[in-house]
Amino acid sequence: MSAMLSACNVSKSYGSYQALKNVSLEIGGGEFVSIVGPNGAGKTTLVNVLTGLAAPSQGTVHFMGNSIAGVGPVKLAAMGMARSFQLVNIFPEVSVWETIAVAVSSRLRRASNPLRTLTKDPQIEDEVQHIAGTLGLHHKLFERAGSLSQGEKKLLDIASAFALRPKAILLDEPTSGVSSGDKYGIMELLVKAARSEGVSAIIQVEHDMTLVARYSHRVIALQEGRVIGDMSPDVFFKDSLMLEAVIGPVHSSQKKNEGEHQPC
Amino acid sequence: MSAVFDVISPRIRPRPKPRLLNGVIPFVVLLAGLAIAPLMLTPYSTVMLMPALAFGIALLGMNLLFGYTGLLSFGNAMFLAVGAYVAAAATQAGVLHFELILIAAASLGGLFALAIGALCVRFTHIFFGMLTLAFGMLLHSFLFKFYNLTGGDQGMRVLRPMLLGQDWDMTATQFLSGPFYYYCLIVYVLLGLLTWRIVSSPLGLQLRAIRDNESKARYLGVRVYRLRLFAFVVSGVFGAIAGAMLGVSTGLADPELAYWPQSGNLIFMMILGGAGTFVGPGVGALIFVLLHEVLVSSTAYWRFMLGATLVFLVLVLPEGLIGTISNHLQRRVRGDAQ
Amino acid sequence: MQYANLFLAGLFQAAILFLVACGLQLIFGVQKVVNLACGSFYALGAFFAITAVGLLHQWQMPMIFLVPALVLSGVLVGTVGAPLELLLRPVYRRDPSYQLLLTFGLLLMFQDVFRFFWGAAPRSMDSSLYGIYGTIDISGLQIPVYNFLVIGASILIAMILGLSLKRTRIGRIVRATAENRNMTEALGVNSSKVFTMVFTLGCILGTVGGALVIPTSAASMTMAAELVVEAFAVVVIGGLGSMAGAAVGAIIVGLMRAFAVSLAPEVEILSIYLVVVVVLLIRPVGLFGRSAS
Repeated sequence: MSAMLSACNVSKSYGSYQALKNVSLEIGGGEFVSIVGPNGAGKTTLVNVLTGLAAPSQGTVHFMGNSIAGVGPVKLAAMGMARSFQLVNIFPEVSVWETIAVAVSSRLRRASNPLRTLTKDPQIEDEVQHIAGTLGLHHKLFERAGSLSQGEKKLLDIASAFALRPKAILLDEPTSGVSSGDKYGIMELLVKAARSEGVSAIIQVEHDMTLVARYSHRVIALQEGRVIGDMSPDVFFKDSLMLEAVIGPVHSSQKKNEGEHQPC
Repeated sequence: MSAVFDVISPRIRPRPKPRLLNGVIPFVVLLAGLAIAPLMLTPYSTVMLMPALAFGIALLGMNLLFGYTGLLSFGNAMFLAVGAYVAAAATQAGVLHFELILIAAASLGGLFALAIGALCVRFTHIFFGMLTLAFGMLLHSFLFKFYNLTGGDQGMRVLRPMLLGQDWDMTATQFLSGPFYYYCLIVYVLLGLLTWRIVSSPLGLQLRAIRDNESKARYLGVRVYRLRLFAFVVSGVFGAIAGAMLGVSTGLADPELAYWPQSGNLIFMMILGGAGTFVGPGVGALIFVLLHEVLVSSTAYWRFMLGATLVFLVLVLPEGLIGTISNHLQRRVRGDAQ
Repeated sequence: MQYANLFLAGLFQAAILFLVACGLQLIFGVQKVVNLACGSFYALGAFFAITAVGLLHQWQMPMIFLVPALVLSGVLVGTVGAPLELLLRPVYRRDPSYQLLLTFGLLLMFQDVFRFFWGAAPRSMDSSLYGIYGTIDISGLQIPVYNFLVIGASILIAMILGLSLKRTRIGRIVRATAENRNMTEALGVNSSKVFTMVFTLGCILGTVGGALVIPTSAASMTMAAELVVEAFAVVVIGGLGSMAGAAVGAIIVGLMRAFAVSLAPEVEILSIYLVVVVVLLIRPVGLFGRSAS
């Protein structure tokens, strides 16, 4: 199993605060990896470093053999990695069809010519229809994204990421804010779509341990900026110390450092 | 498995077009109206209508920048000045072909916009507004103070240009209400169609994506900086073309064109009609020009009335006339369907 | 010694600019509204001061009361901010462009308010009043005491404002509201009241600034739009929302103007805006601004 995404001795500090301490990990094709840990463990920082949004203070990050340290989102998309965020992240005034078309057209470099047609471009049309179908949005194509339900917005967010045809996708709590009934529907569609679209690695940050147990092949546990465990879910869920380190503090003392990780 | 989603779907009927009145048809209607207007108006009133064409052209660009890309510029009037002064300098230097003047104005406006935009589009919201205002005022004070070059507060005279290589032997009013009016209208039509192509291209879609959610757009690979700069340059080119027309129709290029309240007026027109709808700003320009004429001729306090109209619009009809009518129609269409 | 003269003239302009910019900062800091009508309040203060000084003459008051009278007239007319704030309420939570437009509408309306009450021609008051407090001899230069009074008044107002924002209960409430409106509302603060108060105070700072400038220059229709540009330069250089920034920005702009007007009049405004552009490019949030989260 060759590493698709690798971080080597990565440290990241913000001023005097060290968010990541000497983290090393490798993620290969075909893996579904969950990153878990209490609030403030450095999950978001790790994801930011792994997606090239933040450059590591020390260490290296490589994706498919190229360094992605601080490359930024546009290059990241071109290199074949997509990212979706915890909060619903869509274009509210744009339709479902158009949202997906944004990704398709950017991948196909259709924006270089301002006079090119959008609606009569068969390749865009085909790909949009295809992705929408894969994620169960085909009957919502002309809805305004802002008028969709919470679950549909999540799906649209994921669909637009898949439209980039990424090799790897990084999801920050893909089902947060969605009712528990819809969660599994979204996850099933996500896994199925990843398989059919050739997305080989899925990395997610997840608080919901049932989802972690059900979908991931591998769990990476963080605590205070260090990797404290990297194992299969079976091993993880049997390790009571590990579980306590990850889940325990979530219920008792959750605060500071990472405001973006408020539980929903 | 996706049963949850299937249950929701039948309640909302799919609509093929996200917004009514947002296509190119209402724009064609507006242009047709402008085309037949001179037949029903006195030549003098037609000349009064001229600014509606020029502002309409400038607003095509500003709407691309604000309505589609989400950047509100408080300095776009500077491009009007660029165009007008190019027209003045060219006609005084004996270059009378209006085609050449338009090309020169568009090029210079585009260059200005490229240089200024390269700095400004790194910012959004209020900072973008303030920075563009700052550049507009830079130009204004240059035009105002460098008397030898620009005529200072007197401005520069714009002589009557030749259209299509022809000299028109007629009075000013005849010229402006006849050949010049239709010449500008045709330019408006062409630029309108060009803009329509842009907004309905993948690039146009990506502009709207930037407006709605810049960060998400980046993660989908949209080159935000480049596209914003593109929109700004288009607004500069169109603004300069409009400025050349305004210069010819008033016979004068003066620094007031670059003064920031003039940019405020442009925004006023855009919001009046409805930013983000394709036809809205054009309608706004027309109504603004008419309103202005009516108010100026009926009261000394027309600024107060204009200001009050703007306050009313912002408070009551924030989507502008076209946006509001469009929403209203849409509700009715949906109401009938159920 | 020409430079000392210019320096003092610059400080005088800085003092006036600081007052207006302070109002702009206050309103932006708390309400997150950029008030394009700030120039109109400045002009309103100026025009109203002409009337107030006229009354002073009519009532045959000793002219030694000039400065208090100007300040008082500014404070009085600035209270029109309170009803105008009601107009802004619906747009607080909307896109900033609507706030800009609304205040631009007010700016247009004010133009005609001035025209209606004071006519279109520039109005100035009895110029001898400028020297009413005598002059001070600074190595051969006669500087009117009035200038020093205005600079002193501006510093005094800055100190009172700064202290009351830091030390008093209401000041703390205002700062908390600026920080997080929802939170302070949850704690039982009536933020509508705070907003009305802050907006009115911001307007008063503008009108007092306008009133104080009147002995040195005429009140005219164009002063509103001109001042907006300068006040913007001040807050952009200093940093949006920062009082210290307003002070430093005002001094920079005031001095640059004073020096440019006499040394290189062609580049007066040009030079100010070059500074603005340079500051924005090097430090987009301004010298004292906090970077947006």
